[in-house]
Amino acid sequence: MAVDTARVERLRKKSINGQSMKRLVEAGLTWLRTNQQTVNALNVFPVPDGDTGTNMVLTMQSAWNEIKDLGHRSIGDMAAAVSKGALMGARGNSGVILSQLWRGFSRGVHGKEVLDGVTLAKALGEARDTAYKGVVRPVEGTILTVAREVAAATEAALETTQDAIEILEVAVRAADEAVQKTPELLPVLKQAGVVDSGGKGLFFVLEGMLRHVYGESLETPLMSVQPISSMQMQGALEEVEEGQDYEVVVDFLPAENFELQKFYGRLEEMGTSIQVGEGEGMYRMHIHVPLDKRYEPIDYIMGIGTITKVAMENLLAQMDDLQKRKAGRLSLSPVEPGQIAVVVVSPGAGLSRIFASLGAAAVVEGGQTMNPSTQDFLHSFENLPTDKVIILPNNKNIIMAANQAKEVTVKQVVVVPSRTIPQGLAAMLALHPDGELESVAEKMAKALEHVRSGEITTATRSVEIDGVNVESGQVIALLDGKLVASAGSVEQGCLELLEKARADEHELITLFYGQDLPHAEANRIADVIRRKYPGQEVEVQEGGQPHYQFIVSIE
Amino acid sequence: MGEDTTSLGGIHISPNAIATIAYHATLESYGVVGLAPKNVADGIVKSITREPLRGVTVDYNGEEIDIEIHIIVEYGTRINSVAESVANTVRYHVEKALGLKVNNINVHVAGLRVSNTD
Repeated sequence: MAVDTARVERLRKKSINGQSMKRLVEAGLTWLRTNQQTVNALNVFPVPDGDTGTNMVLTMQSAWNEIKDLGHRSIGDMAAAVSKGALMGARGNSGVILSQLWRGFSRGVHGKEVLDGVTLAKALGEARDTAYKGVVRPVEGTILTVAREVAAATEAALETTQDAIEILEVAVRAADEAVQKTPELLPVLKQAGVVDSGGKGLFFVLEGMLRHVYGESLETPLMSVQPISSMQMQGALEEVEEGQDYEVVVDFLPAENFELQKFYGRLEEMGTSIQVGEGEGMYRMHIHVPLDKRYEPIDYIMGIGTITKVAMENLLAQMDDLQKRKAGRLSLSPVEPGQIAVVVVSPGAGLSRIFASLGAAAVVEGGQTMNPSTQDFLHSFENLPTDKVIILPNNKNIIMAANQAKEVTVKQVVVVPSRTIPQGLAAMLALHPDGELESVAEKMAKALEHVRSGEITTATRSVEIDGVNVESGQVIALLDGKLVASAGSVEQGCLELLEKARADEHELITLFYGQDLPHAEANRIADVIRRKYPGQEVEVQEGGQPHYQFIVSIE
Repeated sequence: MGEDTTSLGGIHISPNAIATIAYHATLESYGVVGLAPKNVADGIVKSITREPLRGVTVDYNGEEIDIEIHIIVEYGTRINSVAESVANTVRYHVEKALGLKVNNINVHVAGLRVSNTD
């Protein structure tokens, strides 16, 4: 995108006050977040756990939260607030360093009303000094090196300019160059063939600020290679632009002299929504192209590597389908850093929507016959911006997988052992996302006891359990997981279940009907129940679960 | 002492070797400005014996490695993030170097250093 020169000239004449700084910080955060996966993928030092980008984003996010509601402030006060927010939210090694950089920066602009080029260079110098004080043995080739090079370059630039925007340009250029040099300073980076992740993150923060000045977009990453597993094909589909009718996905092994920059450049000439993923030496390219160019990416990639798989789809044909799916889309609760995120297991679309409306941050599909894996759980919460996670397995066979997910993640996870859907829903009502993890989980676990759970399903074999005789094909009722009745019809099964559960001593009966039971039939049965239990409230909700005609909550 | 004996001989890894790795990993961790002796007596003993690994105690019985680290943190950093980083970094370096699982790492923040005030 071209630089908006008129905008730059306008901004150049304006002084940078607290409000301008707010927008710069927001731009730095946004651009960093846009490139978060790129930074994560670079993370090999000091511990290759792939969380540098996330940690830096969380730290910047905390800084932004601190200032986003502030009104008019001097640059000194605004920077002090940024520093405080960054300190409080500092996560991980790079986050702590970033917070120290802000602390030094804030010291550099202390007492100033507005920011000029001289002050900016001085503040960047203070940022470097403060950051270096926090470590006995600074390792070179890291974010610290980048901060030092930035400070040195801006101090030197003062001889030729005192314009704040020009100083910022110098800073971004210096950061870029310093990042490129990090592999020379830190052998472990060179071995892995990457540049330093924290340094790259700092570069993105600075570049985001400059892009804001230039009026450039902060939402689309310029060029990035992400792990194949994190490529978002679904999201890409929504950005279909007119004329870009074909989606082409190519898996390939690049030849030795593969140059990512050139590759991107060539793809940009062909189409839009470009994504490139990498995993174990294999690349996956995703692009949207016009009808007449649909073979061009394939021909091009054949020339630069070995193609292993090609997939092509007509996007226009998919659009209708997408619209339909969109209607049923979940609106999950957003989670802020530090809040508690609840991951629920749900067997059906209707139940997922209900859980989402109660505040679930992620839904894992699963149930009686399709138990989610530990990996499914990890995927569900790994990218949530918080460390505090509560899992509601909602099925006794899934509790184990949930507990395993807890073992292998670095996040703090508590599994509230809900054995049924009604228990899970009861637990959701006790959720306080801002509370303390352990005590909230305890309250949710306590809520499990206040509800009785019924299930109506069809027997798949003939058996006798707990004194109940069942013929294959008959309707059976389970109360809290125990077989309590067999019946000839769903209606009769429900009535027997409610009797066994002593529904007349409770207040509310909620029926979640499954995907195989028509809505009208569910309503009819509910009416029968209402007549039998006039003192109780009877509700009908779409559950959408397979196998179970009804899941019943009695409370 | 750790042992790995085959018919060809044995490999022994001393707690001191593990402590050395942990010590260096700690000092390179951001936010750590020093290590502190566990207590006064320990400090004196380690200065007399010119023991360089003060602040790090390793308990290794051949199976499980437990590490205690006493650090001094730069004032003004987020202390639990720094301590968490130390634990992560030390665990990673020890496990990578030895191929052994580290059981417990306890990081004690023994003090703060104030190098300048805001």
